[in-house]
Amino acid sequence: MICPRCDTDKVELLVKSPVGNVWEMYICKTCTYTWRSTETPDKTDPKIYNKKFKINPDAIDKMLVIPPIAPLKV
Amino acid sequence: MNTMIQRLPWRLFLVARGRAQTSSNKLFPKETFPMTAAGTNVIPNTPDTIKVPQAYMDLREFLAVLEAEGQLVRIKDEVDPEEIGAAGRASANLKNGPAVLFEKVRGYKNPVVTNVHGSWANHALMMGMDKDTPTKEQFLELSRRWDMYPVPPTRVLDAPFKKNIVTKDINIFDIISLYRINTYDSGCFLSKACIVSADPEDPKSYGKHNLGTYRMQIKGKDKLGIQALPFHDIGNQLAKAEALNEKVPIAICLGCDPITTFMASTPIRYDQNEYDYVGALNNGVPMQITKAPTLDLDVPAGCEICIEGYIEPRVRECEGPFGEFPGSYSGARLQAVVQITSISYRDNPIFENLYLGIPWSEIDYLMALNTSVPLYKMLKDTFPEVQAVNAMYTHGIGVIVSTKVRFGGFGKAVAMRLLTTPHGMSYNKIIIIVDEFVDPFNLEQVMWAMTTRVDPDKDVTIIKNCPGMPLDPSSNPPGMHNKLIIDATTPKAPEIVSRETELLTPPAGTAKWEEIIAKLVKQARN
Repeated sequence: MICPRCDTDKVELLVKSPVGNVWEMYICKTCTYTWRSTETPDKTDPKIYNKKFKINPDAIDKMLVIPPIAPLKV
Repeated sequence: MNTMIQRLPWRLFLVARGRAQTSSNKLFPKETFPMTAAGTNVIPNTPDTIKVPQAYMDLREFLAVLEAEGQLVRIKDEVDPEEIGAAGRASANLKNGPAVLFEKVRGYKNPVVTNVHGSWANHALMMGMDKDTPTKEQFLELSRRWDMYPVPPTRVLDAPFKKNIVTKDINIFDIISLYRINTYDSGCFLSKACIVSADPEDPKSYGKHNLGTYRMQIKGKDKLGIQALPFHDIGNQLAKAEALNEKVPIAICLGCDPITTFMASTPIRYDQNEYDYVGALNNGVPMQITKAPTLDLDVPAGCEICIEGYIEPRVRECEGPFGEFPGSYSGARLQAVVQITSISYRDNPIFENLYLGIPWSEIDYLMALNTSVPLYKMLKDTFPEVQAVNAMYTHGIGVIVSTKVRFGGFGKAVAMRLLTTPHGMSYNKIIIIVDEFVDPFNLEQVMWAMTTRVDPDKDVTIIKNCPGMPLDPSSNPPGMHNKLIIDATTPKAPEIVSRETELLTPPAGTAKWEEIIAKLVKQARN
């Protein structure tokens, strides 16, 4: 399975619906995106996912850090 | 007797509560846990003994009142989880939109409620006022109660949420019916959690305990992301802990009584405890707190769900985007991570969450008058000439202040004081100062003041390179603002007064004719 947002294949089953067997939720271990199997394709299909919200996996390490990590006190 | 209190429509409130308490609805059972007093409480700091109704001790009491007042609707049919965000948007689009309770969410065990605070009617009912109370009257009443601070909480040992606890094989989805709020949110979010934390350098300090609302992304069955901005109290606490490479213990409380949730998004001083303000805003009735089941933190006893855990020190992970209160998506950032260690909850816990989008939506009611009043108090402390503050626009990014003007430049000085308050420093960006005879909550009057009092050459000031609110998409770089002051007050000496301005006054008999015309209109419509 491919992450709809960052197109990597590090996807895991996060949870099955607690009642019945009506949906599964998946999580991308690269970008932390989660989606439910019963959501619409604009949230689940890598080909349709809005390009403005796509994430380049190589850019994640360069994202703004909030809040900045304070220097360790010696 | 205090005239403001005499004017309050308590009778209506008591009637509503009476109906609520006799409700046979199984979602709102009257649970037996210790209350501060039976039926009524006495405000200790008013000149006369005034009896007021018991404040809401939990969310369920408030939901019952909302339903009795026609301000809560139930969706009995099963819905897909993602329908809930749409319903939150839809209800906020309606004039005086109700809270919406979803009894069955597909694949989940428990109900969800949204838009609980999402109208002026619900806001008034939260304070025990008539649901038709105008906004400015709600501001004045909130301002009056603000001065009752501090009203310390009552400590209780037991609480309904302590009935069930999970500490192993935690699966948040088993307890909470989680859903994506807006289309391009990076996942499911808690948008209305009351998060309790302590100062890592002074953990026993009651005053420095913090209750705040920060967005939380669901990242696993027992893992969350948290947005802790540097100017937030939790950001301050996280910085102290990370300097020592220590965890920050937190308790995430969902479905609290409405004033507690309201206070969690109210800016106050770092060394003030929000619980002391809840009692004040409850008109002098103390709230109830209890120890969290596994951590040394005080939490609201009435909450539906209490998630305990800690913020991992010196760890950041991809979080967001999330549809935020300025009406646009935040970017994806590297943000802090929370490990969950326990979840305690009532039977059939109700998950309370809010929709946020282009204003106005529920979140705007949760950061309107509770942003206005503290800014008003801080200004009033140094400038008693200030009459009212309307900071209802995107958490105070836009603010209107009405003030008496003692001398030339006075309006600008008031604006600059606003920019040195703890909340104003980062949030306030566009500040409009109007005369004391202009109602800052009446935007037609504010526009009149701007169109007839402002000389753009001397009354408009830009202050560059100030602290800003990073979620404001115009903040550049994120976290920095240029500030705009528009002084729409009438010029006074020694400022050059080019010509005297005499205001129009209503002709004699206007009030009488208002009554006559209103009566005729009513007759014509009947």
